[in-house]
Amino acid sequence: MATQSDPHASEFSAAELEFLAEDEMIEIVPNMRMETLNLICGDFGPFHPQIATQVPLWLAVALKKRGKCTIRPPEWMSVEKLTQVLEAERDSQKTFQPLPFHYVEISRLLFDHARDDIPDIYMVRSLIEDIKDVRFHKIGTGLEVISQRTAALKLEHLTAMEVNIVRPFVVRALQAFYKLDSPEMIQESDLRANRRFPTANHGPKRQLKR
Amino acid sequence: MSQYYDIDDIIAEDELVPAVFQVSANGVGLFDSSDETNKVEQGSKVELPFWLARELHLRQAVSINLPHCFNQKTREELAADAAHVDLRNRCPYFYELGRKLFTLVGDKTIGTLLLAAFQTRYREVLIKAQTAALAVAPKFLTLLTKEETKLYEAAQSSMVAFKKWRMGGPRFQKASVLGRKRRPFE
Amino acid sequence: MYAKKACELVKEFSSSEPGQLAPFNTNLFSQVIEECNFHFHQLQSLLSKIQEGPDSQTKNADHFGALIHHLSLVRNKRCLMAYVHNRAEVIRSLGWMIEPPLPEEIQEKLSSSEKEYSKNQSATIKSYQSEMDLDLAVDMVPPKDPYIKVRVLDDIGSVALSDQIANLARHAILFLRRTDAETYISQGLMEELTD
Repeated sequence: MATQSDPHASEFSAAELEFLAEDEMIEIVPNMRMETLNLICGDFGPFHPQIATQVPLWLAVALKKRGKCTIRPPEWMSVEKLTQVLEAERDSQKTFQPLPFHYVEISRLLFDHARDDIPDIYMVRSLIEDIKDVRFHKIGTGLEVISQRTAALKLEHLTAMEVNIVRPFVVRALQAFYKLDSPEMIQESDLRANRRFPTANHGPKRQLKR
Repeated sequence: MSQYYDIDDIIAEDELVPAVFQVSANGVGLFDSSDETNKVEQGSKVELPFWLARELHLRQAVSINLPHCFNQKTREELAADAAHVDLRNRCPYFYELGRKLFTLVGDKTIGTLLLAAFQTRYREVLIKAQTAALAVAPKFLTLLTKEETKLYEAAQSSMVAFKKWRMGGPRFQKASVLGRKRRPFE
Repeated sequence: MYAKKACELVKEFSSSEPGQLAPFNTNLFSQVIEECNFHFHQLQSLLSKIQEGPDSQTKNADHFGALIHHLSLVRNKRCLMAYVHNRAEVIRSLGWMIEPPLPEEIQEKLSSSEKEYSKNQSATIKSYQSEMDLDLAVDMVPPKDPYIKVRVLDDIGSVALSDQIANLARHAILFLRRTDAETYISQGLMEELTD
């Protein structure tokens, strides 16, 4: 996971996540005829004009770039579905809507390479942008609950890119709390009697999701 | 041992701690003394770097007191408004030094103090790191200890990296160690 | 104060940007070594004084004087070690970012033993790679297309690449195998062009 720019980085780089996302399957409609491709990762095709088939995203993008197919955007990338998701995200302060694990990467790849295949692209793009913003805001408020009692965080339905962005911060914060909260440092009785800034205490594990 | 090469740990142990010599020591020109005796008398009040104070304390050669950054005034300020206390100015290694001193001095309140301070300040760092986005809040940053700064940077740098990726652009870049400004031609 | 200079050395390393290298501070480094010698002599003379004394068992002022010199030695050593060790880590990571030999602007920042270290390290990587028949320095960024568009930033001349012999003249824009272009880009001799 070390990258050229920062060999000590412990997180994935965004480009590395994008690479992983390229293995997700997507539907294409070829406009050419081609035998089945026998690849290490599986067999794809055969390809016939106007007959939809499933291929990994990297292959879809490579074919699309050469004008050999159109890409069918995944179901969740429709204005209707995304509007629902956005409303649900806004309705709940704590929970996250289930979205594809790589929705950020997939949508960017499709916006970059298959613009003409996405209906209502401007609407779709701004909806995804809004969803992303709402979710990030929620993650932020969720992280505020990290405290000395936090051994782990449970973040349900968070996606690859979201986890990756908060990882360095969360790991460091948990470490800092862990060090300051070692049993030798804090006596339980001491804590109760002397606590200056009281916080709610929900036992050993805090959950971001309720 | 894992900390032996740790740069921050080394610098943290350079922080000065008030100490009183319980013994005298010969042949040490530790302090600017006008006389040439090079002797530290028993009962001398001095400020020693932590690395020296700890070892001498463990051998009952000095007794140590808490540095200023843990005095009553700081504690009151922290209790009143932890987020806005200038801890960097008081001690950039506030938490690390506090943890090290805790085991030596036996002041049970330090642990609670550190934790309560970090708890409040952590939240502030988080909020600032998110809202400040690219435009850094310079005033706020000058108040942070080393650890808090690193936390802030951790939040910022991954966000910056993400934004850069979304903008697109070249995937391959010149190695960052090679001078950034200088180009082979202008 | 004892070991002050050693800590300055460490602070100097700490204040340089992560992954970047400041010139090896020979001057300060040798001053610290000098201080170590000073402590060693002081320690020795105090120790012999203790041994000659009437009761070498009780802890007197000489004993504590010796202790302080001993501790200062240990502290100085730790600072020197940390300085050298952490620099070596940076140098090691350079080996992966830049095709050896290191360019002049970096070479001049290294001490002579660091140069040796860097040379040996790249030789080790090279021999391992040729044994495995594998170039570990390419695809540091996940690969996309096998060919990329680049602009040449310097007169490199005619070069045999893996699939062609190309004349890499300044300002030339060409399509190259990604793996061929990658090292030139990391050296700052080319830049990638995107649509």
